[in-house]
Amino acid sequence: MHTGLFSALPPTTATYDFLFNWYLFFGVGAAVVVISLLTFFMIRYRARGEADRPIHHKTEGWKIVLVTVMISLTILTVAEYQTFASFGNIEVPNDPNAVHIGVVAFQWGWNFTYPNGKYMLNNLTVPEGRTVILNITSKDVFHSFGIPFLAEKEDAIPGRVNQLWFEIPAGTQVPVDAIRCYELCGVGHAFMIANLTVVSQSSWDKWMGGG
Amino acid sequence: MQYWLRRWLFTTNHKDVGLLYFFTSLYFGIVGAILALLMRTQLSIPNNALLSAIYYNQAVTMHGLIMVFWFLSPLGIAFANYFVPLQIGASDLAFPRLNAMSYWLFLSGGLLAVISFFVPGGSANAGWTTYQPLATTTFEPGVGPTLVYLGLVLLAASVTLGSVNILVSIAWLRRAGMTLSKLPMFTWFILFTIIAMLFAFPTLIAAFVLASTDRILGTVFFSTTSIQPSILWDNLFWFFGHPEVYIVLLPSFGIIANILPVFTGRPLAAKNAILVATALIVVPLSFGVWMHHMFLTGIPVSLQGAFSIATIAISIPFDVITLSFVESLIRGRVRFVTPMLFALGGVVLFIIGGIMGVFLSSPVLDRVLRGSYFVVSHFHYVMVGAAIFGIFAGIYYWLPRMTGRMYNERLGKIHFVISFVGFNILYFPMSFLFDMPRRVFTYQNIGNWAMLNGLASVGAFVFAGAQIILAANLLHTWFRGPIAPANPWASEDLEWTSSVPHITPAAEMDVSPPPGGWIGQLVGPPLAAYPALAAHSAISGTPSHSLDAAEAHAGHLSTRPIELSVGAMVFLFGAAFYPAMLSYAAMGIGGIIVVYTLIGWARDDLAEKFVVPSEPEGDRWPFSAVPKLKLGMWVFLSSEVVLFGSFLGAYIFIRAASPAWPTGIHDIPLGTLNTLVLVSSGFTMVMGLQAIRAGNQSGLLKWLAGTFVLGAIFMGVKVSEWINLGASGLTLSAAVPGWSLAASAYYVIVGLHGAHVTAGLLMMIYLMKKTSSGAYTRDSHEAIENFGLYWAFVDIVWCFVFPLFYLL
Repeated sequence: MHTGLFSALPPTTATYDFLFNWYLFFGVGAAVVVISLLTFFMIRYRARGEADRPIHHKTEGWKIVLVTVMISLTILTVAEYQTFASFGNIEVPNDPNAVHIGVVAFQWGWNFTYPNGKYMLNNLTVPEGRTVILNITSKDVFHSFGIPFLAEKEDAIPGRVNQLWFEIPAGTQVPVDAIRCYELCGVGHAFMIANLTVVSQSSWDKWMGGG
Repeated sequence: MQYWLRRWLFTTNHKDVGLLYFFTSLYFGIVGAILALLMRTQLSIPNNALLSAIYYNQAVTMHGLIMVFWFLSPLGIAFANYFVPLQIGASDLAFPRLNAMSYWLFLSGGLLAVISFFVPGGSANAGWTTYQPLATTTFEPGVGPTLVYLGLVLLAASVTLGSVNILVSIAWLRRAGMTLSKLPMFTWFILFTIIAMLFAFPTLIAAFVLASTDRILGTVFFSTTSIQPSILWDNLFWFFGHPEVYIVLLPSFGIIANILPVFTGRPLAAKNAILVATALIVVPLSFGVWMHHMFLTGIPVSLQGAFSIATIAISIPFDVITLSFVESLIRGRVRFVTPMLFALGGVVLFIIGGIMGVFLSSPVLDRVLRGSYFVVSHFHYVMVGAAIFGIFAGIYYWLPRMTGRMYNERLGKIHFVISFVGFNILYFPMSFLFDMPRRVFTYQNIGNWAMLNGLASVGAFVFAGAQIILAANLLHTWFRGPIAPANPWASEDLEWTSSVPHITPAAEMDVSPPPGGWIGQLVGPPLAAYPALAAHSAISGTPSHSLDAAEAHAGHLSTRPIELSVGAMVFLFGAAFYPAMLSYAAMGIGGIIVVYTLIGWARDDLAEKFVVPSEPEGDRWPFSAVPKLKLGMWVFLSSEVVLFGSFLGAYIFIRAASPAWPTGIHDIPLGTLNTLVLVSSGFTMVMGLQAIRAGNQSGLLKWLAGTFVLGAIFMGVKVSEWINLGASGLTLSAAVPGWSLAASAYYVIVGLHGAHVTAGLLMMIYLMKKTSSGAYTRDSHEAIENFGLYWAFVDIVWCFVFPLFYLL
């Protein structure tokens, strides 16, 4: 995940990055070990002549399998534990100071409704340093609202409101076209893109109050 | 009619049907590959304008559907058809005509799907996952998508019949000495696949029947926003969809497990651990992980955690399988021939794809990865890499057995190397595209998207190009290949050692090349013209074929499977166009063909025209006490349980989610009375069964007639209820909130039960006719026993339908 060079990471991004790297380390490690073993055995035990070596006729070899499975079971259990420890990313915090913004997906765009009743098309503006909670729904078909750099995504489903949350610290560099639709929703799917704008608390308050 | 045409259209032989499956799925594979190349060409550079969005969406949708349903799965079934009977020492599958029927339904469904490209508006374009409500006519108008969804229903019917058939064959047709512990690994894995199919596909039928009635008849299952139809669809689709992944994968694992010992010269390591892990964890648990496709739909966090654990858990048996494959190389003598290379390549690709899957099991990581190219990379590593490489291994391994000729080893190795390299150039870059949404028809040049996509497109053409080598090698083998030795790999499995000849007598209708070449047989004189070859077939170790050649010849062909499938296809083709004029004509013609075929089929049976050679008593444990047909009926009914379970589950979902529902519209006293009528018909059926068990034929006839009358009364009352309900406003277009939904659920699901009762009534006409001719005796009345099971099942289903629809 890419963020500003000198700034704090958004908390959801930091959690995600840690978890992803953890999975990546053990995932790549396991793949390298197993594929190397396979390659090694394959070459080591290649057929050279017809009767170069007596054939090994032990029918069961479950002990090695059992040991390796215990190892992978351990890794997977810890992985699952790490995932559970990161559930803060998907549980919306109970923050009375949170900003609630409505998101209505439609073919093809996003309509953001702010606490002051105003709405904006394809532009989500949020204050920096505050918990933002999005209430996401759809007025037509199944869409999926994703902000990859914040490691957040939630489906926009007609007849249902789903929530996601994030917080963007001051100074975070926000990529352009930060918001995209991640579920095929018709011919406009590729263009269902929105911008994310982060403003200072003071200009947010001004916009909220100033009407 | 030409001999070869009659043979290929009407064959019921498992090898012939296997080859039909083989070539037909390769054809669909080419169609799917062309669609994939179109997509990769479009995405090779940013902002490309080769395909417009609607064409791209059709390509992406149909690529997925065709590859999963009409290429990958049936290719495994092709080998199952050909080699399961050989591996267990049977002369054919348990129900040969049903087998042919499976094939023709599969082809009919595929043709409906492919035809959809040529109707106005084009084909389905809502993704292979067909997410609702995008796939309703509001958002995906036109006849094309409807044709595809009806094609899927035909396909699912084909799979259900095929599953029953292969399962009964494995349970019942093993030759003496073929105990379960000796069963070859391929047959074991086909058994696992079949069991998963049997319980997964009925849900697919339910899902696409509901989607199709929405599109054709105007029911409102997926257009009523208040019940969150997206969630209903996700549950139905993924309850089927996740087992489907294993259905695609397991035949390939079976091939790998089967051929590893052959090419390492040592036994498979931890064979029993593999079997236990697959049977007890993979298959059952595959039905308990579907919600990991729904982490983002707003399901409770606790449920996300539970399904995450289940998903992690299902990776453990795959660890067992993979690691034992690796261990199976130790201290062996590894022979690097083409099948072995593909098998090992498949294992490597599975390791990569499987580990990516572990990432996706985490709901937290899913917040980035879902809907992105990472997912595309993951499932292609598993479903193309592991599945197709294993299948390719099978093609090379068994080609000498299917053709009697040897493929070109050097071409095979080149095919492997280019495939493996091309595959990784194609899919590995996608795993870095975890911020790029999948299924977009174009993209801007952001980050390294252009470079990674360009690379993937290059890989796509390399991978596809490699398959031309496969095609060349197949053609070369079939026409020019050197004659293969009887057991070129020194395998110990029955399909090689029992020396069932490559060339079998005309009576068996096998396809295998006579010395004149395969094409010579296709267009030349019938096989009977090769008496020397026919004589060559009397080999020990195979079930004896003592039938007179001419008699068997007549007995092994049946026109009914293709007729019935064509009838069903024409009928559904018409249904998709409803209510256009053409629609009525096509449905009429299709209906007439179906009725004509059913009557013909019944008459064939009354005249005992179709002869299934009786199998010698073999190893039937643990089903030695269950007759073949009865076992088939039990297996079939267990899939029916899932079918009705899916519909009733959908109904309960709708009922719980809908804020409004009509009350007091059903005539409960009449309904109760009618329930009693149906239940008593179950009682009279039992009495009929008791009568024939005592050898009383006239008693059976009377009780059958009584059952028929009660069943007919039940249906009569049903029809009058429907007329009254329609008149009282329970219509699909009712304006009162909840009423149109209630009407949809009532007419479709209760209607489905009604269809089962009606089918039972038709069967009873046949049974009564046969009873009056004295066909059933005290010792021989299997059909009556099986019909009794069916009828009891229909009664029991009603005992669930009635309270749910009338009383609740």
